[in-house]
Amino acid sequence: MPSSLLFGINNEGRVYTLSTTGGMWRELPYVGQEFKKLSGIPHFLWALGGDHQVYVYVHGLDIPIRVREECYENERWIPIEGFSTRLLPTDRFKFSSADGTVDRTIQNIRLPSMAWQWEGDWQLDLTLNGQPLDHDGWTYAVDFPAQYYPKKQWKSCVRRRLWVRSRRYSAMNSWCAIAPLHKDATAEPFIDICIGGQSITGAEPGIMLVWAVTSHNRVMFRTGVSTRSPEGAKWTLVSVPVGCEINQLSIGSSGLVWASLLDGRALVRIGVTRDNFSGDSWVEVRGPGPNLRIMQISIGMSSVWAVTQNKQVWFRKGIKGEGSGTSEELAAGCGWVEMVGRMSLVSVTANDQVFAIGADDRAVYYRMGVSFGDQTGKRWRSLHAPLQVSRASSNASLSRDRFQNQSNSSLNRPHSLCESSGIGDWEEQSHSAPSAPTSLPVGELAGKHFETQLKNPKAWSPVRSVGSVVGTEVISDESVYNSERQDSCIFAEDEELGWAEYEAPWSWVEAGPCTIDPNQLPNWFAEVPTLQQTELDQPWRLKILEDLKSRLSNDNKYSDYQVAIDTSSWVHSGEGRICMDSTNVFIDCVLQLEWVHTAGTLTVLHPDGASTMHQFSMNEVTCVQCCSDPGSPRLSIHTPNITPPVIRLQFSSDTMLEEWQRHLSTISMQIHNCNGKANDSSVWAVTKLGEVYVWDGLQQKANKIDDNNYEQIIDLAGKEVPFTMHLHASCVPGTIITINGCVSDDVDRFAINLDAHNTYKLKHKAHAEYENCVLHINPRFNDNLIVRNSMIEGKWGEEERNGNNMFRRGQEFSLKILCKEDDFIIYIDDEQYCTYRHRLPPAAATMLSVRGGLKLFKLKMNTPSLILNPLELYWRPFGGHLRRVETCKLGVTWGIGYDHTAWVYNCGWGGACFVGLDSNNVNPMADSQDYRVYENQRWNPVTGYTSAGLPTDRYMWSDATGKQKRTRDQVKLLSMRWQWVSDWLVDFHVPGGVDRDGWQYAVDFPSTYHANKQFTDCVRRRRWYRRCAVATTGPWQELGHTKVIDVSLASVNDVSISVWGLATGGQAMIRTGVSTSTPAGVKWEHVASDQAYSSICCGSFKQVWATGRNGCAYKRLGIREDNLEGQSWLCIEPPQGAQLKHISVGAAGIWALDIHGNIYVRVENIKSEKWRSVNIDPAALTGGLHATGFKHLAAGYKEVWAVTNGGLMLRRQGICQENPTGTGWDLGIPGNWQHISIKAFE
Amino acid sequence: MANDREILREIWEGKIPVRFTLYPDEVYELQQPDEFYLMVPRLSYFPLVIDKVKKHFIRYVSNDKNDQEMWLEYDGQPVKWHFPIGLLFDLLVGTGPDLGLPWHIVVHFEKFPETQIFRLNSKDLVEAHFMACLKEADVLKHRGQIVSSMQKKDHNQLWSGLQNDKFDQFWAVNRKLMEVSGEVDHFKYIPFRIYDIEGFYKQKLVKPVSDEGQRKTLNDLLMEMYPKRATSVKVLTHGMFPPLNTPLQWMSEHLSYPDNFLHLCLV
Repeated sequence: MPSSLLFGINNEGRVYTLSTTGGMWRELPYVGQEFKKLSGIPHFLWALGGDHQVYVYVHGLDIPIRVREECYENERWIPIEGFSTRLLPTDRFKFSSADGTVDRTIQNIRLPSMAWQWEGDWQLDLTLNGQPLDHDGWTYAVDFPAQYYPKKQWKSCVRRRLWVRSRRYSAMNSWCAIAPLHKDATAEPFIDICIGGQSITGAEPGIMLVWAVTSHNRVMFRTGVSTRSPEGAKWTLVSVPVGCEINQLSIGSSGLVWASLLDGRALVRIGVTRDNFSGDSWVEVRGPGPNLRIMQISIGMSSVWAVTQNKQVWFRKGIKGEGSGTSEELAAGCGWVEMVGRMSLVSVTANDQVFAIGADDRAVYYRMGVSFGDQTGKRWRSLHAPLQVSRASSNASLSRDRFQNQSNSSLNRPHSLCESSGIGDWEEQSHSAPSAPTSLPVGELAGKHFETQLKNPKAWSPVRSVGSVVGTEVISDESVYNSERQDSCIFAEDEELGWAEYEAPWSWVEAGPCTIDPNQLPNWFAEVPTLQQTELDQPWRLKILEDLKSRLSNDNKYSDYQVAIDTSSWVHSGEGRICMDSTNVFIDCVLQLEWVHTAGTLTVLHPDGASTMHQFSMNEVTCVQCCSDPGSPRLSIHTPNITPPVIRLQFSSDTMLEEWQRHLSTISMQIHNCNGKANDSSVWAVTKLGEVYVWDGLQQKANKIDDNNYEQIIDLAGKEVPFTMHLHASCVPGTIITINGCVSDDVDRFAINLDAHNTYKLKHKAHAEYENCVLHINPRFNDNLIVRNSMIEGKWGEEERNGNNMFRRGQEFSLKILCKEDDFIIYIDDEQYCTYRHRLPPAAATMLSVRGGLKLFKLKMNTPSLILNPLELYWRPFGGHLRRVETCKLGVTWGIGYDHTAWVYNCGWGGACFVGLDSNNVNPMADSQDYRVYENQRWNPVTGYTSAGLPTDRYMWSDATGKQKRTRDQVKLLSMRWQWVSDWLVDFHVPGGVDRDGWQYAVDFPSTYHANKQFTDCVRRRRWYRRCAVATTGPWQELGHTKVIDVSLASVNDVSISVWGLATGGQAMIRTGVSTSTPAGVKWEHVASDQAYSSICCGSFKQVWATGRNGCAYKRLGIREDNLEGQSWLCIEPPQGAQLKHISVGAAGIWALDIHGNIYVRVENIKSEKWRSVNIDPAALTGGLHATGFKHLAAGYKEVWAVTNGGLMLRRQGICQENPTGTGWDLGIPGNWQHISIKAFE
Repeated sequence: MANDREILREIWEGKIPVRFTLYPDEVYELQQPDEFYLMVPRLSYFPLVIDKVKKHFIRYVSNDKNDQEMWLEYDGQPVKWHFPIGLLFDLLVGTGPDLGLPWHIVVHFEKFPETQIFRLNSKDLVEAHFMACLKEADVLKHRGQIVSSMQKKDHNQLWSGLQNDKFDQFWAVNRKLMEVSGEVDHFKYIPFRIYDIEGFYKQKLVKPVSDEGQRKTLNDLLMEMYPKRATSVKVLTHGMFPPLNTPLQWMSEHLSYPDNFLHLCLV
């Protein structure tokens, strides 16, 4: 769960934050404004100031809030004048919005408030759908609502061009005042403010609802508040029933609004939906008892808590946030439940966790045990967190005696705080003026404080206009939001600060921005940490520990004693079901896993337990993967060198599955000697189920002789001729292949070939296959000669046949082929026989084929190219649930979850199913996914749209293709680690748009769907979704709040790393401060661009490429070591007719993937370079089920690896300068792969 | 919550070197059997760890005796099967740096002392005894709510964790038993047994906190048990003397044997 903040106001009106990952209250930068009330959701805080005006505080966003203003300039062609600004009366405005309905005259487009700033001037957009336009940017059309083309045609009667200008919200991380209701701010001040509604069912993401109450008890609703417009547009009055004087308001994340009245009753707002944010009407709810007046209310997602005037706490039964907009019952609930404890204020988080302030001690309390099943919780527990006290605070003087010098036990304290000199000075100061009035020291210090403030002229000038910025503190906000970097230099001016362990009297707590997982509570509760802390240093504990350790003297006197319980050998057995082919039919079996000291065996027995079905040594296992379907927990075990190459096991429960997964994985890890942290040169891969695997790149060193020389010796004795075998390496210049064998007695001719991959050409939707042979050596005994030749795309070339046949029937021979830059040199029995000029690039030769009468003994290959059989890589599992993992040369590795959370590998291992010693440094991880089903309906003349379809129609509840039946009840969770976090909801954000009820219309199934019902539409569909979340563990540390969709890392030098990322909106970002010692870096910096990107990749830190949402490729220019961010983007046209969606770059070239899964390659730095297409070939398609194209590409220094959408991993062979696209694929295991990162390898 | 893994691990790893010899009168073969040396875990029970000992010595006794039940003797006394090994050692040998180590135990196959020790001829019996103790302890701590809410497989995991010396396996379940539930942060009563020199034990309902809510210490426990001579006694457990100011709740969470009892030997 991401770290989030709890907000509080102390008795002085200062605002404090407490991070869920931290343990200390930190003060928000004080800018001379006290606050009375706070209401917040993540990143957005609305507050009621001491002056009873409203302030907004936007914080913790890495991506600036930018709005692109667009304005189309329209012109019409008039016979004599040509294109003219004079338009027909029926035409649109001269400057208009895209659809022409709104006047967008450039001069009238102004900044909405002083909180915004323009970024640059108006500019022309010079591209249309990724294709470049002329310098004036005009696009032409026949008439206005029509298709626009980049070129003027004879029929073009109108043209338009797009002016764009971006504005930025500049009041980030500072208080921004909202204009008062009247010119005289004191005429009608506010008395309450609340914000919520960030998850209204079906609403656009980013919508926020703000309500306020004025001192005249009028209720105001703020229109237009969203993440793109944090301060909203204006206040609108919401009428209340006669005789109701509203005192306080609260809004939940679902948009549910409750108000408490002065007379103690409550009102509920009915009808808050995605179409009507401010609701329809009020419904009255009585207080809990005759003399119990409701004073304060707080609302979560599905719970309402209230405090009455006698400080009692009440819980409202029967509230359901998701349905509250449409159902009065669910909004108003059905009864009050009394809670124990006297509280003066409650505050509920968006996930229904409850905080409160004690009525008597004014401490902050947390309600323990609140869960989905038990919304009222168990008991109140008080928070204990030290408080940061600025010296300007009067509390500091009150509590100065309690200041503690933390230098001794500063385990959690920022490093710099250990120097308590500031506090010491100050104490001296106050001692030196004992006769002075008590307020004096504070005043003096405050003066100093102000002085530093004056450097910032914006501070202390709270202008009473809309959106004026009260004060900006760029430095301090980081201390609040990046508590993990406690040793940074933020507290350089530390004499201003101190830490006090005293109980601050709190006046307000706001939990809205805070997300608490009741199962993993933050470190806020003194009992656990402090008790343990104190316990650890207690003399009695130390004594006990020392005594325990000294029970046996340390010398090895007893080392030869036998151990009573032998833990090194064991047998694990159980029942399961097995499938050994691709039929998906599982049969019952008994499994036995035996581990004796260093060797393991898995035996699969028939259910009778006697006869063996399958048995193999655990040495054969290269990967143990989960391949569950919902409801059937399954494991696949890959043993590529024996038949069948993969077996799948099904278990009766998830627990069984994890147990077996754990045993099988630990054994195979032990066999492959994989332990500890992942090696820095590892290849990381992720499966479609989100599991993370690592292949230790050092393992390949086994056949490495030195940096540029690999060797493999293959025993060919017993291999039947003819055969073809993969060499898993290319015969690049420098390669020496030596083959030993024996010619048969009665042979006429035989052939030894160095083959390349076949060429496939797509003809009439079928692949035509053409063989390629780089070197064909064909001794013919009857003619007494040796023919040398090459075959290129199925055609033999000219034979070279000079020289005699040096092979002798019935005799042993040794054939040596040496590859040079220009030719092969062939030696027979150590004597040079001939040379053979290259006709195909030698790098293409990746296979050996042998035919005819001979026997081979052995093959020895020495080559500068990497010898790597992708089938034989051992994939070691790591915990976590991720969608992609990216790594770089220095071993710094990042992951991205399905919910777009970024994670950093923390050098631990284990997690997920691994327990005990097999896990180290693992953290809890959460991720979420949506399940989707489509509801289909057909129109008929009598009843309109119904779920009765034609017999030929698709299922009325189906998947997106309509081929599979999917009903909502049948959708099951994948495993016990998953749970539902929402109900089935209509998805209003389907591509193509939807109507009010979420329907999309079409002429017929399958077709393109549109939002508005038209006369010809006969069918409609809508999408339902339900969100589920997984809870697991893994050696990953969460990075921060900003969600990312893609990330790429490249080392800059031996220490620092350049990290590029894409935020969910497609904005490019660069992470500062990433190095081997701080793999998480410091913060994101937004790299401004008008284009939204879909993928990004840096090959080296200087080579950064991205693909835009429009399908173009972009290259970053001007990157230097001292300017990692570079200067500008260069748009590169996509291949003809293709839209790129993913790009991977490296020294091996620019490799890109289009939306249909085709690969395109180009070489960098060559002028007039074009994209070359790499067709998917049948070899790659056969390996995975239902593969139609590629899913992912990873280009490295020399290597290019890919994953098909059938889950097969492939390694590209034969890439060389002459042929940058390579020749063919070497297949890995069909491991249901989804993503792979090879940047650290090589 | 028992969360001080360092202590828990140290307790779990506690082992005693034992030298087993066969009672000379029972040797049937001409050749005297070799002594047998074994490191036994303090937390385990003898029937779980002496399979190897039995295998070693059984060749040397007469054939008609070797189906008889094996029993152990130390210092002329038969060793009680049903006590944890660490407790037996603390009771019978005491402590000191390498005092009485290796522990010399004599193995018998004849003349089972029916009157002095129980017959515990199968591991199932030990398991039953272990589970009974565990349940009793949970009744004292949580009114038995936790152990009864556990499933059979949890019970099995506890037992096999102990049997196979798997710390994590055992503690994955045992931590639930060591948690405090409800509104309070301590157990209802502390499950403990105090043994005197003769091996008889006393047991009493003792709360981990005083009526005023103060945390009780080991000293308070001794005062309650032996009001007259509390100052003059020490208790030995796991081969060490816990300081008198050790909190009882902490002791129960960290120093209990796997059966969830504190087994304290009065010295």
